[in-house]
Amino acid sequence: MKQLRYRSLIGLLGPFFLCFVLFWLVPLIGGVRLSFYANTLVGEGSFVGFDHYRALLDDARYFKAIRNTSIYALGSLLCILPLSLVLAHALQSLASRWRSVIQFVLLVPGLTPPAVLALLFLLVFHGRAGLLNQWFVMPLGGQPINWLKDPDVILAALVLQCIWRWLGFITFFVHSGMQAIPSMYYEALQIESRHAWHRFWWVTLPGLRHVLLFCLIYLIVDAFALFSGAYVLLGGSGGTADAGLMLVSYLYQSALTFGRFGSAAAMGIAIAPCLLGILGLMAWFGSKYSQQTGGSKA
Amino acid sequence: MRVESRISGPSSGAWPWGWWLLIPIGLVFAYPFLWMFLSIFKDNQEIFQPMSLMPTRWDLEPLRRLLSGEWFPFWRVLALSLCMALGQSLGAVMLTSMAGFAFAKLRFRARALLMLACLCTVVLPRQMLVVPLLDWVNFIGLHGSVWGVMFPGMASGLGILFFTQAFRQVPDAYLEVACIEGATEWRAYWLLLPMLGSCLLSYGLIHFILAWNEHLIPLVVLKGDAQQTLPLALASLYGSSLRFPYAALMAGSFVAMIPPMCLFLLSYRRFRNALSQIILS
Repeated sequence: MKQLRYRSLIGLLGPFFLCFVLFWLVPLIGGVRLSFYANTLVGEGSFVGFDHYRALLDDARYFKAIRNTSIYALGSLLCILPLSLVLAHALQSLASRWRSVIQFVLLVPGLTPPAVLALLFLLVFHGRAGLLNQWFVMPLGGQPINWLKDPDVILAALVLQCIWRWLGFITFFVHSGMQAIPSMYYEALQIESRHAWHRFWWVTLPGLRHVLLFCLIYLIVDAFALFSGAYVLLGGSGGTADAGLMLVSYLYQSALTFGRFGSAAAMGIAIAPCLLGILGLMAWFGSKYSQQTGGSKA
Repeated sequence: MRVESRISGPSSGAWPWGWWLLIPIGLVFAYPFLWMFLSIFKDNQEIFQPMSLMPTRWDLEPLRRLLSGEWFPFWRVLALSLCMALGQSLGAVMLTSMAGFAFAKLRFRARALLMLACLCTVVLPRQMLVVPLLDWVNFIGLHGSVWGVMFPGMASGLGILFFTQAFRQVPDAYLEVACIEGATEWRAYWLLLPMLGSCLLSYGLIHFILAWNEHLIPLVVLKGDAQQTLPLALASLYGSSLRFPYAALMAGSFVAMIPPMCLFLLSYRRFRNALSQIILS
């Protein structure tokens, strides 16, 4: 290919990076700056250095919010990924006509605005008369649980909501990924083994590693950005005893309810390197693993 | 042929094992939405009994009051939400497909670095940066303007990933032919674009759904009650008082589900195809 013209390169990349710099990079830098200044609603506060960060170290609610968010992320991951693998196999066993219908039914919660989802969850699943109690808890001999009021189960309720929302989409991705695995790999394995488990372990799972990595990262990021669900379900606070306090909810509360803009900016900035680090490591391990095994990457 | 069907096709039995799992799960997933639809016609007392599905009488009064704008200017809110989601998704498709083309097909210095920067926007979502973002949007005078919601949404790293992958599918030969003919990179981009119709549609759809569902950014950037998107209006209705007819809330929620569902149904097949194409690489 001939010499690249830099003018057209700028034309192609420019608009996106303008947006990127203006609405991502500048807020990021502005956030770092804001976190060094005192909390004021209008105008400039005085420079306070690392005071906000020091205060965060003693802020039990901040750590509670991080803890809750991590549990939420981990809980939803551990439920959704294995379940989606099972469901994708179940879908595979159906005739293709029915497969699309069922797949669409599973996708419906994912297409719904989370505010609506939280509302439905509130009305349908909670309380004594709710479906969770009537269909699952009481038939198994348990006492009806007051989801959303009992601090021990609020997080579980949020995780259930997350599963309900994303399971369909993740299954959709996994199933599309399964269909993209060339059938010759399965044919080759037929010679070695007829065991269904071997098929899954040696062909399906390695073939899905990119999809699964993407889903993993997506779910973690989504957990850390969770706002709407918790906001509608718990009315903007953390619920009983802060048991459902999420990171973004706490950020929102500090900034827009209490007017502590500086602290709120510090909260966001303080967690950023951890998140970047964890996800970066994951992506790095993922790509290293796929280089080692070689596999089907074209 | 036998081997093929053993592996990927449905099993030969009349009743595949998947049904045993999928029917209960499908029921749990579908029931709340069916219930929501039927709740449009119920009164509050019935709504708080989620086990009863069918309404005792078919009352359209709450729906009428919602549409006539008794609680919030319904049609204006709907129009604003639609405009914002559509605009944001069109803008994102345009910007990210251009950048994705450059990342996939052109060799230039700092490519890896710029790509990494894009990945950072995926990993560090703008919801975490909401406070400085609000500060900055205020500063440049976009507070209370729809642009203040749309622009941050367009800087989407997910789109870059998607289109970089998509353009990698297109053989280099096309680009070489275009270059021999003397086309600029810009022109080559326009020539390749129609080949990616399904991908453009799919990402537009994904971004539309994300934008339509967004709650936090419109909540802080837009000005209170005068400008609301549908999710915001619904969230503010909820819990306003116990006397409030929940049927209207159900009707509003149902309307909020219609646009993403319709778009998805319309492009379902192309979405599937595009997705498995992207995954293949």
